Amino acid sequence: MLDPATKTDAVMDLLIVDGRIAERRAAGQGKGGLPAGTKVLDARSLWVCPGLVDMHVHLREPGGEHKETIESGTKAAAAGGFTSVACMPNTDPWNDSLSVTEYIVAEARRRGVVNVFPIGCVSKGGRGEELAEIGDMVRSGAVAVSDDGRPVGNSYLLRMAMEYTKIFGIPLIDHCEDTMLSAAGVMNEGYYSTILGLKGIPRTAEEVAVGTDLAVAGLTGGKLHIAHLSTRGSLDKVRQARRDGLLVTCEVTPHHLVLTDKAVADSDFDANTKMNPPLRGEEDRLALIEGLRDGTIDAIASDHAPHHQDEKLVEFDEAPFGITGLETSVALVMDRFVRPGVVTPARFVELMSLNPARILGLGKGTLAIDADADVTIIDPDAERTVDITKLRSKSRNTPFNGWTLRGWPVATIVGGRLVHEHLAAATR
Amino acid sequence: MSGMQEETRVHAAGRKGAATGARAGSATRPAARRPAPGRAAGAAGETAARIDAREPGPETERPIVALTHRHLLGIHGLTAEEITLILDTARSFAEVSTRTIKKVPTLRGKTIVNFFMEPSTRTRSSFEIAEKRLSADTLNFSLSGSSVTKGETLLDTARNLEAMAPDMIVIRHKASGAPHFLARHCRSNIINAGDGWHEHPTQALLDAFTIREKKGRLKGLRVAIVGDLMHSRVLRSNLFLLKTMGADVVACAPPTLTPVELSRLGAQVTFRIDEALEGADVVMMLRIQRERQQGGAFPTAREYYNLYGLTAERARRARPDVIILHPGPMNRGVEIDSAVADGPYSVILEQVTNGVAVRMAVLYLLAGGTLGGIAG
Repeated sequence: MLDPATKTDAVMDLLIVDGRIAERRAAGQGKGGLPAGTKVLDARSLWVCPGLVDMHVHLREPGGEHKETIESGTKAAAAGGFTSVACMPNTDPWNDSLSVTEYIVAEARRRGVVNVFPIGCVSKGGRGEELAEIGDMVRSGAVAVSDDGRPVGNSYLLRMAMEYTKIFGIPLIDHCEDTMLSAAGVMNEGYYSTILGLKGIPRTAEEVAVGTDLAVAGLTGGKLHIAHLSTRGSLDKVRQARRDGLLVTCEVTPHHLVLTDKAVADSDFDANTKMNPPLRGEEDRLALIEGLRDGTIDAIASDHAPHHQDEKLVEFDEAPFGITGLETSVALVMDRFVRPGVVTPARFVELMSLNPARILGLGKGTLAIDADADVTIIDPDAERTVDITKLRSKSRNTPFNGWTLRGWPVATIVGGRLVHEHLAAATR
Repeated sequence: MSGMQEETRVHAAGRKGAATGARAGSATRPAARRPAPGRAAGAAGETAARIDAREPGPETERPIVALTHRHLLGIHGLTAEEITLILDTARSFAEVSTRTIKKVPTLRGKTIVNFFMEPSTRTRSSFEIAEKRLSADTLNFSLSGSSVTKGETLLDTARNLEAMAPDMIVIRHKASGAPHFLARHCRSNIINAGDGWHEHPTQALLDAFTIREKKGRLKGLRVAIVGDLMHSRVLRSNLFLLKTMGADVVACAPPTLTPVELSRLGAQVTFRIDEALEGADVVMMLRIQRERQQGGAFPTAREYYNLYGLTAERARRARPDVIILHPGPMNRGVEIDSAVADGPYSVILEQVTNGVAVRMAVLYLLAGGTLGGIAG
C-alpha cells in the first residue's frame, strides 16, 4: 500500500465498507473478523494506491460528442487507473454558467463511471472579456476556473479573476501562451521546425505568459495553477516564484516528459505529434524530469484531448492540437520514470493523486481511514502494448500506438465500487 | 555535430510502421542495383540505344544505376550517389529535348496525375512537358474548380484520384508534409513538387544540374542563397543538396526572415548581402513574397531592395565567373535588378530548360528506370 498522505509504504490489507476506507491492517491476518460476504481482491505484489486524479482532461460533452462523451471519457479514465478527472470548460457551449456545470455533474452521475469535477470558465464564453458567473458554477460543483485552450491574455481580466477566485479559495488554471508570439505556429520553434518548414511556436510564447501570470499572482495573492508547463524557462520562473512565496502550482503532461519535437520529424508529419503546447526540445524535456524529482512540478496531468480521426487525418497544418492520454498516462510514467527509479513510488502517487486532489481541494488522494474508497491498483511489472483499437476513448489520436510499456493499472475502485479490472491478465 | 548526418538518421528511422516502402529519406537503404536495364519503365521492345553511358560524374564514389526509392518527397536523406545518378540521368534526357521529335517511349502506358493545390505555372508546365516527352498519359488536377473547394479532404481527394489507378502523383501543396501524408495513405509513387516551406526537391535538382553544367562540379563551390529563407522550400532543398554534394553554402536574409538554428543545417548565416556575395561562385536569389511585408518582416519593398536587392554593383563582389540563379517568379526591383536578371551571368532561363530534363530523369528513375537504359 502506497499512501504518502499517511506516510505509508507497507504490505497491508485494506477494508472498504460503504464506499469508505474502514480499516487498514498488517497483511496476513486472513479474513478474520471481516463482515460476511466481503469480496476479496488479491493484490499481492501489486501496488495499492489512492485513486489517481487527472486534473486536466477534455470530455467534449456537451457539443463534441463525436470526439468523446462523459460516458466514454470516464470509461477511458477508469481503464487508465483514474478515479477522478477534472474536465476543462471548452465544450460547446463553454462551461461558463450554472446550467452547463449542472448538466455535466448530472450527466456524470447518470453515465459516468469515475468522479467528474468540472472546471468552469474564467470569462463568459471563454472570450477573455468579462468574468463568468464563477460563484454559480462553484455552487454547482466547479472546482477551479480556466479558459483552457485560450490563455487569459487580458491582464486586467486576469487580475480581476485572481482577486475574485479568492472568495472561493479555488485555483485559476491558465494555459500560458502569448498568442501574438505563437500565431499560426504548429510545432516547437527550433531545429526541427526549420528542417520541416513548419511554423514554429517559440518557448518564449509560453514563458512571457507565465511571467505575466506570476506577476499578477504576486499582486493579488490568488491561487495560480499553470497547466501543461512545457519549457525549462517556465519551470525556472515557477521555481523562483515558489521561493518568493507565491501560491503557484503547476502540472506537466506525460507526452512532454517522454517525447520531443524530433517526433514530428521521425513520424513524417504525423498529426498525432501536434499538440499545444508543442513537444519541445530535449533540454526542456530533461528540465521537466528534473522538475519532477525536485518537487517543482506538482502534478502530472494528461491534457486528454480526443479528436475524431477525420479531424486528425489531414495535413499537419490543418489538424487540431491535442492527443488522448487517459489510457496511456500511467504506463508512460511507470515505464519511463518510476520503474527506472527517476521517480519514487511515493512521489508517483503524489504527482498523480495526492497533489492534484489537494490543488483542486477534492478531499481525495489518500487511503486514510474514513477517506472516500477511491483506489487504484497498479501492477508494476505488467507489460502491455498500446493498441488504439482497444481504447475505451471514442478517439484514437495518440502517438503511442504500438508502444510496449511496463507498469499498468489493473484495477480501479471508485467509492468502493470496482469500475475496471484487468487482474486476470496480471495475476501470476 | 553535423546536422545533416543527424537528420539522415532521424528520417531513416522515421519510417517504421508506415505502410509505404522506400522514400527519399531512407539514406541507409543499400543502393541495390536493378538487374534489367532499360526494360522496367515500359520501354520493352524499343531500341535500347544508349545515349549516354559515360562514366559517373566526379562526385560519385560508388556508382549506382537505379533509385531504390518509391517516392521523391525531399532531398533530405538522399545520398550523394543518388543525387549524382539523377543528375547524370538528366543529362541523358537533356539531349531528347534538342531533337526534332522530342519524345521517347519510356513511360508509355503510365498515367501521371499532376495534383496542384497551389498556383504554379513553371513547375506544373515543366512536369507536364517532361511527362509528355516520356510518353506518359497525364492528368492535370488543380485547386480551382476541384472538389477541394467543395470541402473534400486531401485524403478523400487523393483516394478518389487513386481509384483511377494512376502510377504516379506529382503534388504541389501549401502544407508542409502533404506529400508525406499522401505517401502514407496512397499506393502511387509520390513526387513532391513543392510542399509549404518544406521542400521542392526537383527545383534543387535542376539548380544543381544547371550549376554542374556551368561549373563542372558542385563540390567546393561557394554558393550564396539570398532572400526569404524562412518561407522558402527552395532554400531547404538546395541547402540539403548542396551540403550533401560538398558545396559551401552561405545563406543571407534579414533576421526577420531567417529560420532559427539554420546554421545547424550546415549553412553559414549572415544578415549582410555584401558578405554573402564575397567570392561566391554561384548566387541564388529567392523570391520575396509581398505578404511577408504585411507580416512585418520588413517595412517596405523599397527598403528591402536597398538592403538586400541584387544589383550589378553588388554582384561584383562575387567571383568574375559567377552565375546567378532564381527559381522564379521574379520580383524585379525587389530582390533582383533587371540588369542582373537579364545580364550575362544570369542562367535563369537555362534553369527552366534544365527543369524538364531533371523532371524526366526523376520520373524515369522512380518508375524503375536505370541510367544507361534510356531507350531512344
